Amino acid sequence: MPDSIQCARDVLAGARAELQDRAHVVATGVGLTPGAGGDSSVPCIVCSVAEKLSRAELASRDRVPSMLDGVRVEVVQTGPIRALAARTDRQRPAPGGVSIGHHDISAGTLGCLVRKDGVLFILSNNHVLAASNAAELGDPILQPGPLDGGRLPEDRIASLTDFVPISFLGAPAGGSLVRGGAQLLNRCLGRLGSDLRLRLVREPPSTSLVDAALARPLDDSLVSDEILEIGSVIDIASGELGMEIQKSGRTTGLTRGRIEQVDVTVDVQYGGGRVARFTDQLMAGRMSQGGDSGSAMLDAHARLVGLLFAGSESTTVINRVEHVFTGLGLEI
Amino acid sequence: MLSSIQEAKTKHAERLLELPGVVSVGIGLDPGGRPAILVGLDGPRPETCASLPDSLEGYPLCTQVTGPVEALASGD
Repeated sequence: MPDSIQCARDVLAGARAELQDRAHVVATGVGLTPGAGGDSSVPCIVCSVAEKLSRAELASRDRVPSMLDGVRVEVVQTGPIRALAARTDRQRPAPGGVSIGHHDISAGTLGCLVRKDGVLFILSNNHVLAASNAAELGDPILQPGPLDGGRLPEDRIASLTDFVPISFLGAPAGGSLVRGGAQLLNRCLGRLGSDLRLRLVREPPSTSLVDAALARPLDDSLVSDEILEIGSVIDIASGELGMEIQKSGRTTGLTRGRIEQVDVTVDVQYGGGRVARFTDQLMAGRMSQGGDSGSAMLDAHARLVGLLFAGSESTTVINRVEHVFTGLGLEI
Repeated sequence: MLSSIQEAKTKHAERLLELPGVVSVGIGLDPGGRPAILVGLDGPRPETCASLPDSLEGYPLCTQVTGPVEALASGD
């Protein structure tokens, strides 16, 4: 066997330049092909091609011979071979799973593409594309996100189109004026010597269902339907307890897990002391870190289940896709 | 009439979230695989744990330390 491998290497060394010159050939090497008995392997020359065509479709000079100096030649279709770009690099077209962000934030993840009235949009989180409610519609979206070197104007990929506002706890929703009014009135009552005091009936805190936003690519050719290491979204599905799920994110790449809790009410910290309470969330174990926000969460069959937006040292929190689509006016 | 676990969770979630250190309330499974109300804590909270019942409306209540839950933009 070592002798026959050396023989194949010697033959390839002599023929490599000529083989690589043929159309569609992207790589050449020495490999093993199953022997006649099926159990033994025979050294051969492997020609990797971008696209495998029948001999009839090829010009004679582009045909790969089946034998070279007594060594068998196998043709394998690998597709074009590209340098593997990092998820934090600039990528055009940009697939799901790479860095993205509003120009005022750090970086999150481009979730996936969705269509609204036939028009293509990037789906990610409000806190990734709309700076947690602070952005204006039309603001530039950068790929990669600013933390990963995205700069205006050259890395602009899209414009913020829509977002579902997040309700932060303690944020005035008309409540502060009422509270202020009551305090003023109580001070007056106190000066008048009255024991009467107004007590505000406590309202339940306003809650949120999703942390979601849409951005319109400057051109459809700048984005790709694929999600890195997963492929295209084929459908949507409702998340259920025990369901196997997967995501492709800027920081931790492809990770898999399981839905461990449903109907979750959770208080999420947004930095600067801001907290928002979310209801009807899905919770999985640890399958994310900072920068994975906005990742599309899919089941094992590449059906969209939700949008990853938060987590802790041992959990990952996911908006349900039903609420994301309803909130953004997308058709299910 | 027994309420569903969803109803039991909805009824008690707000109150549970007011206890020190409680960050989440959801529905999952207890270690024995039975449907349970799961309470997430930002760290070890012996006093909060001591104040919690073992069950709510007949459903097991379990605590787990999840740590604080944060929005996951990078560096946030």
